[in-house]
Amino acid sequence: MRALLQQLRTSLRLHFRNPMALIYGYAFPTIFLIAFWVLYRYDRVPLVRHMGELLTVTVLGGACFGLPTTLVSERERGVWRRIRLAPVSMLSVVGSTVAARYVLLILAALLQIVLAMLIGMPFPRHPIQLGIAFTAVAFAFLGLGMVIATLADNVPAVQALGQCIFLPMLIIGGVAVPLASLPDWAQHLSAFFPGRYAVEALQTAVNGNGLAASRFSLLALVTIGAASAIAGTRLFRWDAQQRFVGRGGKGWIAAALVAWVAVGVAAEAKGRIASILPAESPATSASTPSTPSTSPAPTASVEPSAPPSSRSAVPAAAPPTPQQPSTSTRAPSPPPEAGPTAPNDHASAPPATPHPPAGERSSPPLPLGMTGAMPGPPPVANAPATSPETPAPPKPAETASGHEPTSWQAVTMQNIDDKLVFDRLPPDNGVFTPIATSDQQPDQDVSADLDALAAALPDWTPGKVADPVQRVRNLLYVPSVVDIFQLPSEPYVPLLVFDQIEQQIPKEDLIKILYWIAVHPDQGDGSAVQALGPLGIPNGPSDLSEVRNRAGYYAVKLLGRITGKRPGK
Amino acid sequence: MPAKVIVRDLQKRYGRVEAARGVSFEIHDGEIFGLLGPNGAGKTTTIECVIGLRDPDAGQIDVCGIDARQQPREVKQRIGASLQSTALQDKITPREALELFGSFYRKHLDPVALLERFSLAEKADVAFDTLSGGQRQRLALALAFVNDPELIFLDEPTAGLDPQSRRELHAEIARMKQDGHTVLLTTHDMDEAQALCDRIAILDHGRIIATGTPTELTTRSAGQHLVSIVVTRAIDAAWLADLPSAQDVTVDGERARFHTTQPSRAVSLLLSRLQAANAELVDLHVQKATLEDVFIELTGAALRD
Repeated sequence: MRALLQQLRTSLRLHFRNPMALIYGYAFPTIFLIAFWVLYRYDRVPLVRHMGELLTVTVLGGACFGLPTTLVSERERGVWRRIRLAPVSMLSVVGSTVAARYVLLILAALLQIVLAMLIGMPFPRHPIQLGIAFTAVAFAFLGLGMVIATLADNVPAVQALGQCIFLPMLIIGGVAVPLASLPDWAQHLSAFFPGRYAVEALQTAVNGNGLAASRFSLLALVTIGAASAIAGTRLFRWDAQQRFVGRGGKGWIAAALVAWVAVGVAAEAKGRIASILPAESPATSASTPSTPSTSPAPTASVEPSAPPSSRSAVPAAAPPTPQQPSTSTRAPSPPPEAGPTAPNDHASAPPATPHPPAGERSSPPLPLGMTGAMPGPPPVANAPATSPETPAPPKPAETASGHEPTSWQAVTMQNIDDKLVFDRLPPDNGVFTPIATSDQQPDQDVSADLDALAAALPDWTPGKVADPVQRVRNLLYVPSVVDIFQLPSEPYVPLLVFDQIEQQIPKEDLIKILYWIAVHPDQGDGSAVQALGPLGIPNGPSDLSEVRNRAGYYAVKLLGRITGKRPGK
Repeated sequence: MPAKVIVRDLQKRYGRVEAARGVSFEIHDGEIFGLLGPNGAGKTTTIECVIGLRDPDAGQIDVCGIDARQQPREVKQRIGASLQSTALQDKITPREALELFGSFYRKHLDPVALLERFSLAEKADVAFDTLSGGQRQRLALALAFVNDPELIFLDEPTAGLDPQSRRELHAEIARMKQDGHTVLLTTHDMDEAQALCDRIAILDHGRIIATGTPTELTTRSAGQHLVSIVVTRAIDAAWLADLPSAQDVTVDGERARFHTTQPSRAVSLLLSRLQAANAELVDLHVQKATLEDVFIELTGAALRD
């Protein structure tokens, strides 16, 4: 025991004398933290949704490179050969190195947490459970590091083997790239890697409902860690020349891998493929809404600590269907922001005009970019034929039809039917101008964002300007900017804004105004894009064309909803 | 005198290779014992079994009265060892290394005293990778002494050292003996073995082929002497014919050498023949057989391959 402590102390001391180890151990976690901060700079609360990923990257780096590099370099240079002459066990030699690494990882994790809190992240919600989760993650990954150390004959081999595990885990293992952004097959594959379980366990402790929600992940981590520890012990070599002789030899590697497979198979069997974490942006992944029923959705467990009032505005944004009492933790009180025209009215509103016959909609194909960063202009039938290079021609009204209205008041239903093509709009569940469906649920953080937005929107100055067209334009800029920045709230904001617009403008006028905006997306004042601060949304890009373009699309989408030409799905 | 180490009928095989085929020897308390043998003779295997790193297939090993096969850890508590090249972490200091290794043993000496004794006090707090070869060797010895061992094992202690460090180390080993330590060492250097060791065992093909004091071994070697001459002109092989008990005669231009058990008779006959042939003597050497000669005679191989 004394020997182990002395070794631990020596290991730590030597670590802090090694500049390369310090760079790997502390500079990298800091760099990752800054990278994530930049990447997710529009999150309302910095980094809180990504602490699980950040901490996992840190542990993974320490396990794939730090630990095995230390072990292999000591073995390679013959330090172990000398230690072996003393009455110490292999367990003590390796145990002290692993324990030292665990301490170092805790220091790196604390560094990350403190830095994140300096940026504005709140204190983790379940600190003790975070410690438990972190220990389980460290156990799983350090076991992995031990196996790497026993397999690698020298330090370059550690680098190669480590990369083989580090990079795939980062990219398709659900560590650096959110699971929700991955295709289906990758989500299934990630169930066989420990990375995603680490992220889930840590994340639920940081801002979720605690470890109760991630029991499976914890179990997976401990299983993988135990199998690796056994394999690492069995494969242990005092020096690299020693072959894998006796006692199963390399067969123990298989034993370690069997644990990964077993965890993956269990995850498949229990329907644990979809992430239990709230999706970053639900609209970006088709598979996310289909969360298996066995998986506890973040909102499924009632958490008394969350004040009910914090959710009161949510129904206004995404009306929950009454058939979902199980997921309802919402307050029974009626949503105050939801005015007389509840969002459901979109669907029930009678069509203002009959649908145009199919033949009349045979307009020339439009260059609608569904996923690109520079989608085409709003789906105005005739206008883009003139110049596809310019995103939105300045005066499309002058181009085709002779009887184009000269002011928004002169717009007729006939103009709408002639000019707008509702069935070519980008889908509401896509990445471009998304709108939430009624069964989509914002998670807790997003709900808070939406509450703030719903409370601030009625008092927002650009939303109260006298000119009704400018007012609608300004309001439509809000979801457009949110969409450009791909904020997690992007599918919900349009519903809130649509409500606000419908409350302010009589329907007859609104139809005309929306048409006007759709046909003239580039007109009007764009200064509102730089005045979004009061709404809790970062100001939009200085290049307005993207914002105006999306506002045009949202105008057509809203127009489709209130006229019934394209009911909300 | 009680035996510090008793090895009886030690056997160890790796697959088809028999590394030790019944090795037996004893090391007495307080002596310096040298284990010699060509590469592959089974030296390493024998030593690893003695110091508790390897378990033999058969045989008995007692170290300091402890059954090394039953309690290898207990044996390690009582012995100190210094390997051919002792490697430590780059950034560890001698003081830290002594503290660390001291923590491995029940009984351990004060690092400061060890640093003093091995002239490392000035270098106590510098990183291992800045130490010179001689300083590293002294640190290795200090580490071997950290548990105040009864038996010290030195593997090729002077290999790769400059002459100065080598002389210092020889003095240090002699001092170990004076302090009452028992020393087991292996070496390639016959002069070193001859100068330092009280007794020597020669190992070949997994067996001890000779044991004794250096003097015993050299005299036992059939009293062979080596005679070598150099003359002013090319030597005629006939001059060297039929010299008394001459063996291994080699002639090379003006030089010639042979072994004989009767050096004075052989040399006087040779000199009279030189005189008759009017060849002047340039150089004449008569040497007693060295340990190396004994070794080559016994094993048929040079120590350095």
